[in-house]
Amino acid sequence: MTALPPVLRLVVRNFRASLDSITLLVMFGQPAFLIVILGTMFNQLIPSVGSSNSYVAFLVPGMIASQMITGAVLAGRIFWLDRRWSMVEQIFSGPFLRAEYLAALLLTTLLFSLVGVGLMALVALPLAGLPVLSAVELAVILGTIALGSTFFGGLLIAIGGRIRSANLYFTIQSLLQYFLIFISTVYYPVTSKTPEVLRAVVYGNPLTYAADTVRDAFTRSFGPGDLTAGAVLALLASLTFVAAIASFRRLEFGPVQ
Amino acid sequence: MANPDPIATARDLGYAYRPGEYAVRHLTFELRRGEVFGLLGRNGAGKTTTVRMLSTLLPPSEGGGSLFGKDLRHCGRAERARLGVVLQAESLDFVTVEENLRLYAFLWGVARVTARSRAEEMLELFELGEVRLRKPWALSGGERRRFQVARELMHEMELLFLDEPTVGLDALTRGRILDYLARRAREGLTIVFTTHILHEADRLCDRVAVLQHGRLATIGPPSELKRRHAGARTVEAEFDRSLTVDEAAELDRMLRAQAQRFDPVEQRDGRLVFRARNAEELVAELARWANLRGLEIERIAVQEATLEEAFVSLVSDRPGAEDQPTGTLT
Repeated sequence: MTALPPVLRLVVRNFRASLDSITLLVMFGQPAFLIVILGTMFNQLIPSVGSSNSYVAFLVPGMIASQMITGAVLAGRIFWLDRRWSMVEQIFSGPFLRAEYLAALLLTTLLFSLVGVGLMALVALPLAGLPVLSAVELAVILGTIALGSTFFGGLLIAIGGRIRSANLYFTIQSLLQYFLIFISTVYYPVTSKTPEVLRAVVYGNPLTYAADTVRDAFTRSFGPGDLTAGAVLALLASLTFVAAIASFRRLEFGPVQ
Repeated sequence: MANPDPIATARDLGYAYRPGEYAVRHLTFELRRGEVFGLLGRNGAGKTTTVRMLSTLLPPSEGGGSLFGKDLRHCGRAERARLGVVLQAESLDFVTVEENLRLYAFLWGVARVTARSRAEEMLELFELGEVRLRKPWALSGGERRRFQVARELMHEMELLFLDEPTVGLDALTRGRILDYLARRAREGLTIVFTTHILHEADRLCDRVAVLQHGRLATIGPPSELKRRHAGARTVEAEFDRSLTVDEAAELDRMLRAQAQRFDPVEQRDGRLVFRARNAEELVAELARWANLRGLEIERIAVQEATLEEAFVSLVSDRPGAEDQPTGTLT
C-alpha cells in the first residue's frame, strides 16, 4: 500500500491526535446552541431582518459563516499544542516540509469549518428550513468559507508562531474570536441607524463580508457587493497566508509556556 | 564495527542564537557509518544545538557540514526520511501510548501491518505494555522517556540522534535500552547520543566527542580518551613486610622522581597506595626497586581509568587540581 501524501498524513494526524471529544462538542455545540436559543428567543421579538423572513433565517447564514472562525480556532489550538508539546519540532525532524505542515493546518481549518457548516445546516433545518441552492450559490458559499478559513487560520497561525506563552496566545485568540463575531453582521445587520464608527469597524471585519455573502446566497440576492466581498476576502486571505509563512520561517523551537 | 565512510560531517560548524553569542563554534568532526558516537559535555556545552544542526532542525550560523553526502543547508525531506531524532524535550500527541506509536508510524508512512507488529515489539521491549492505554501525560517521567525512544524506533532509519535518551531511567531499564541500541548498531544503524551518564558512553560508544563551552575539546575512542585525559590513577601494592623508614623515604624519592603528578596516599604495614598519571610505568619501577631490596610484592593493583575521570579532567575549571601532591610517604 502506498502511503498518503505528507500533507494528508498530517491532516489525518491533526484530526486523530490533537483534539478531544469534549473540546469538539463545546466548539461546535456552542454555535448550534446559539442558533436554537438565540434564534428561537429573538424570533419572537424580530419578525424579519432585511431580506430574511425571520430572525433565525437571518442568523443561520451568519452562524454558518462564523464556522470559519471555529475551524481556525481549532487549528490554532492544534498548532499551539504542537508547539507546547514539541511536536512541531518532532514533525520537522521527519520527512515533512514546513510548507506541508502549514498547508495541513490550513486544510484542517477548512475541514473543521466545513464540518461546522454541515452541523449548523443540520441544526437550522427544523428551525428555519434551508433554501435549495444552485451549484453556483453552493460554490460561492464554499469558496467564501475556504477564503475565510485561510484568512482566520493564517491569522491565528501567524500569531501562534510568534508567541511563546499559552496564556497570551489563548487570551488573544478569545479576544479576536469575540471581537470578530460580535462586531460583524453575524448576529445583527448594519442599518442606516448604525453609528458611523461601528459601521466602519463592522465593514473592516472580514467576517462581515463572509456572513453577507452566505446570507445573499441563502436569500438569492447576489449583487456586485458580493463580488467586492469575495475580492476583499481573497486579498486578506493572501495577506494572512503570507504572514503565516513568514511566521513559520522564523519559528523558533524550544520551550513555550 | 564502524565503516570509515562518513554518514555526516561537521566542518567548522557554528551556531549563534544572537549575533556574537555562539552556542557552538568551530566544530569539525565526522560521523562514521555504523558507529555509535557519543556527544559529551557539561550542561550548556552545546550538545543539543549540535544535534539540532546535524539533524537539520537548525541551520548553521557559520561553517557547514554534510548529511548523507549532501550539504547540511540543502538537506530536505529525502535526508530527514533517513533520520530518527529523539528530542531532549518531551514530544507527544494527545492519544494513548499505543495510538501514539501507531500514529507516528502512520506519519512516517509505515504500512499498517508493520506498524501494528512493531508497536507490540516496542511496547514489550520498553516495558510499556501495562500503560499502553494510558495517555502520555499519565505516565511517570521514566515511562515517558521510554515511550519517546520507543516511538522513534517505529520507523526505519540509517542515523539515529538520541538527545539524553536515558534521563530519569532506572539502571535496569537503561541497561535494556542500551543493549537494544547496541544490537541495532551491530546491525548497521549509526547512533549519535548525548548523555551525562558517562559509563553509558564508555559502554556503548565507538567514539566520543567532548564539548566544552561550545567547542570541541577532544574526540576519540573512549579508551584513548581515558588514556590521554584520565589523570592520576591509584596504585595499591602490598609487600611481604613493613618498609623501614629509610626504605619508605627512598621509595618516595624514586617514585616522585619518575612519576607524573605523584600523589602519595598511604604507606603502613607493608601496604603502599599512591596516585600517578603514569601508573603502569611506575608499577614496573616499583617491582624493580622491590627486587633490589629483597622485598616481595604480594599484591599489586592499578585502578582502571574511567571515562568520567577523563571527562572531569577535560572539562574541570581547575585542571589537574586533584592530582597535586599532598604529602610524602614517610
